[in-house]
Amino acid sequence: MSSAVFGTPAAIDTAPSHGAPARRGLFARAGQASLALVHRFAIQLTLTAALAGGTALRLSHIGAVGFNSDEAVYAGQAAALAGNPLYTHMFPVFRAHPLLFQSLLAPFFRHGTVDVAGRVVAVTLGMVTVLLCYLVAARLFGRRTAVIAACILALMPYHVVVSRQVLLDGPAALLATLTLLLFVRYLESRQIKWMVATGAIFGLALLAKETNVLFLGAMYATLALLPNFRRVVPAAIGATVAAVLVFSIYPLALALGGHEKTGRNYLVWQLSRQANHSFWFYEEQLPWALGPLVLVVAVGGLYLLRRRLGWRELTLVSWILVPLAALQIWPVKGYQYLLPVAPAIAILAASMLDRVPDLLRQLAPSRRSMLRVAAVVAVLLSIGIPSLNRVQAGASNTFLAGSGGLPGGRAAGQWLGAHVPKGAVLLTIGPTMANVLEYYGHRDAYALSISPNPLHRNPSYTAVPNPDLALRDVDIQYVVWDAYSAARSHHFSTRLLALARRYHGRVVHTEYAGSGSSRTAVIVIYEVRP
Amino acid sequence: MNRPRTIAAAVVAAFAPLALAAAAPAHAAGHDPKTPIKHFVFLLQENHTFDNYFGTRAGVDGIPPNVCMPVKPPAPKPCIRPFHIGAQGSTDLDHNLDAFDRQYDHGKMDGFVASDAQGQGKLAMGYYDRRDLPYYWRVADNYVLFDHFFSSATAGSPVNHLFSVAARGGIGPNVSDAVPANGWGNRIPTIFDRLQAAGVSWKFYVQNYDPRITYRTRAQAGPDRSSQVIWVPLLAMNRFIDNPQLASHIVDASQYYQDVANGTLPSVSFIVPAGDSEHPPGRVQSGETFVRALVTELQRSRYWPSSAFLWSYDDWGGFYDHVKPPQVDSEGYGFRVPALLVSPYARRGYVDHTTFDFTSVLKFIEQNWSVPPLASRDARATSIANAFNFSMKPRPAVLLDRTAVPPSAPKVHRAPVLAIYLASIGLMTVLVAVLLLTDRRSRRRRAAASDGQPPSRQLVSADR
Repeated sequence: MSSAVFGTPAAIDTAPSHGAPARRGLFARAGQASLALVHRFAIQLTLTAALAGGTALRLSHIGAVGFNSDEAVYAGQAAALAGNPLYTHMFPVFRAHPLLFQSLLAPFFRHGTVDVAGRVVAVTLGMVTVLLCYLVAARLFGRRTAVIAACILALMPYHVVVSRQVLLDGPAALLATLTLLLFVRYLESRQIKWMVATGAIFGLALLAKETNVLFLGAMYATLALLPNFRRVVPAAIGATVAAVLVFSIYPLALALGGHEKTGRNYLVWQLSRQANHSFWFYEEQLPWALGPLVLVVAVGGLYLLRRRLGWRELTLVSWILVPLAALQIWPVKGYQYLLPVAPAIAILAASMLDRVPDLLRQLAPSRRSMLRVAAVVAVLLSIGIPSLNRVQAGASNTFLAGSGGLPGGRAAGQWLGAHVPKGAVLLTIGPTMANVLEYYGHRDAYALSISPNPLHRNPSYTAVPNPDLALRDVDIQYVVWDAYSAARSHHFSTRLLALARRYHGRVVHTEYAGSGSSRTAVIVIYEVRP
Repeated sequence: MNRPRTIAAAVVAAFAPLALAAAAPAHAAGHDPKTPIKHFVFLLQENHTFDNYFGTRAGVDGIPPNVCMPVKPPAPKPCIRPFHIGAQGSTDLDHNLDAFDRQYDHGKMDGFVASDAQGQGKLAMGYYDRRDLPYYWRVADNYVLFDHFFSSATAGSPVNHLFSVAARGGIGPNVSDAVPANGWGNRIPTIFDRLQAAGVSWKFYVQNYDPRITYRTRAQAGPDRSSQVIWVPLLAMNRFIDNPQLASHIVDASQYYQDVANGTLPSVSFIVPAGDSEHPPGRVQSGETFVRALVTELQRSRYWPSSAFLWSYDDWGGFYDHVKPPQVDSEGYGFRVPALLVSPYARRGYVDHTTFDFTSVLKFIEQNWSVPPLASRDARATSIANAFNFSMKPRPAVLLDRTAVPPSAPKVHRAPVLAIYLASIGLMTVLVAVLLLTDRRSRRRRAAASDGQPPSRQLVSADR
């Protein structure tokens, strides 16, 4: 792509708004001002409605299903960081990621077993992201596009589902979007201060989740495709220094916390992990999460407006494609990993919704406006209804990590906490259930699937090298089978049930999911003895 | 060796109640317990002394410093000092009436090394500690450890086991340290007769129980399996063999788990092991696991809030113990044996220094369920009741692990970590707010200066 295609942003932004007629006469000015006020009021009203609706959607049934494994881990870390005595010995403070979000959560987790409060914090951050999405879109395409983008993000199933969980990806998306906002300001103004601020917030975004480093590639791609790339270098150096300075909080915190080696251990583990999903995982999952119509609008619009694209679209496309390409290649995939690109997709789709109707010049402007409104409503309905269904969905016996709470997990953990003596040790199929049961049940849980080879396991987890011996020696007194882990590993499920049978397993509790004929046992707790 | 018994013991035996419970119908209601303990479990393991298991523990009457046991008393040297026996384990040391006499040595307590006829006497000075018996030591940390609990008789297993159920060691003045060829007879009343008569439920759980092996058939059972008759004195008493109703109370130990799980645990349970008895040369850890499984089952059951589990050791097994046992009558006491009590009412981390023997356990049962004593020994015994604190709320069960040294969690300095992250969030928020606000203000100024109009954002794309 040449600079001729994308233009020079800093120069372009000094141009007057398109279509702004020369204002002549006091009456004309007054009328224009009234219209602008009405327009601004309508925008603000719509934005408020989007924020309120998005918040209500995210808070709906927020506590209906308990934490999933990742939520339990981050909440456990936050509680341990806050010194909550229920968790300080069960969840190590330092694990795989920096502790920015966990630090923010910590004040809410000082006492007792908390889950909904943590999710409310996540929702709050999610709605701030919607607001930032609006600000980015407003800078790029104007307030009308911005409010459409905010509506799309507020209702997008992907963002709704992930931003109501205690996951790092919500805050990561917030800070990535703030980075984008500042980056756009730099592109508009070419003032170094904006690039330095971009670097600083980018450093903070890395503290939210290291995978945000992929946006470095996105920013580089954008800058490289702009004219006068060399002029960017001083600003880029300033930004890099700012980013490094802010991110140095991570090793500094590890050193202050007395765990210098922790970060290196996890880096080695992350780099050597085996694939956990198929290569086409994102293609299979994300279209439904983002909204098929949103994607059609965004991609179709890009095609239809291909001759009118500029640096704004380039920035957004880079912001989406670079992380997508990198995570596509990366063997370890997660449903929620691409959340930080969702605001850019929403802005792109909103921009196309706003602009494509203008291609139909044969239609009268009022008809084009009606068409635009109809298209926006159709898109919002196409994502709003699935989002509503997702947040109201009852417990099921299937589970995709990152896509919501773990049905039955909280109830099973609470049952263990109430009915099983303290000091009891559990054996689960995998670490997913172990984390949840530790969080809600406050009982040590080990997973059968954790490899005894330290090179093949998460450094946070402890393997049971000889589960048979551990059961025979009464070191493990309960075995917990769950349908979710069993679906992922038939081998370990079979082994666990064999151990339950061998050690006189007696079912003492069962959790069910679904209702009516689809009601099935999802978690079964066995008492075992030699 | 036959050891003469006192006339008093013979008299007591002769006048023992003859109307035994075998013939008496069980009372339907039974006696309500006088304490909150509605279920009492007593387990008798094998062959260790207090010093052998807990002699190095702080806060107990343990191995005195500078002990050195002479190899050939009365010469003080050469001598063997106590040593950590650990994984080396021990052979089966002499632990019969003769061995007791040699070790006791008229109260000089200097024959522990010299007494072993097999030349393995130095093993008597070996001891285990928290590294070898982490679960027992953790139980002692959390519940009650008795450090003056003596085996009832100066003899080995047969007489001591009989004491544990009948509060007496024999039926005549010439009782040997063995189950008589014709059994213990049918005239010795046992605690089970008392309970049966009072309508109090009871069971005798036997690990690897084979009901075919009794005193009548033990010769065919072989030396290992025949010890079932030693450890279950009821199998050397005709009424418990021939009366199906009474015999049905003697069951395999696996039934204990089912009874606990199904809610059919009787008021009084006696348990004896087989392979997991800790009897040398068996691994003490196997016995520890056996005990742990039994206690764990009780702790996670509905019975925990109203139960007590006490286990001890039938005799000293030939091992060294430094406390000279009081001789309360012609039959004992024998040397100290380990004893631990687990109960929701047990005092936490309490070391009970009171002098007890197996009949102290019988005394507690008798008092709790209001049944009369069996013999003079239990009539005079001190009950273990003081080890409980019935004025406190029952403690919730805690399953203890076998961690010898509790892992110290890596020290985390949470405050600076929290502070640095929260400070970064605060600083960055201020930075962005200042930047955006100053930008907005300057753009407004520029707009106002350009045409005197209210500021309007010139952000809409020029591409459009």
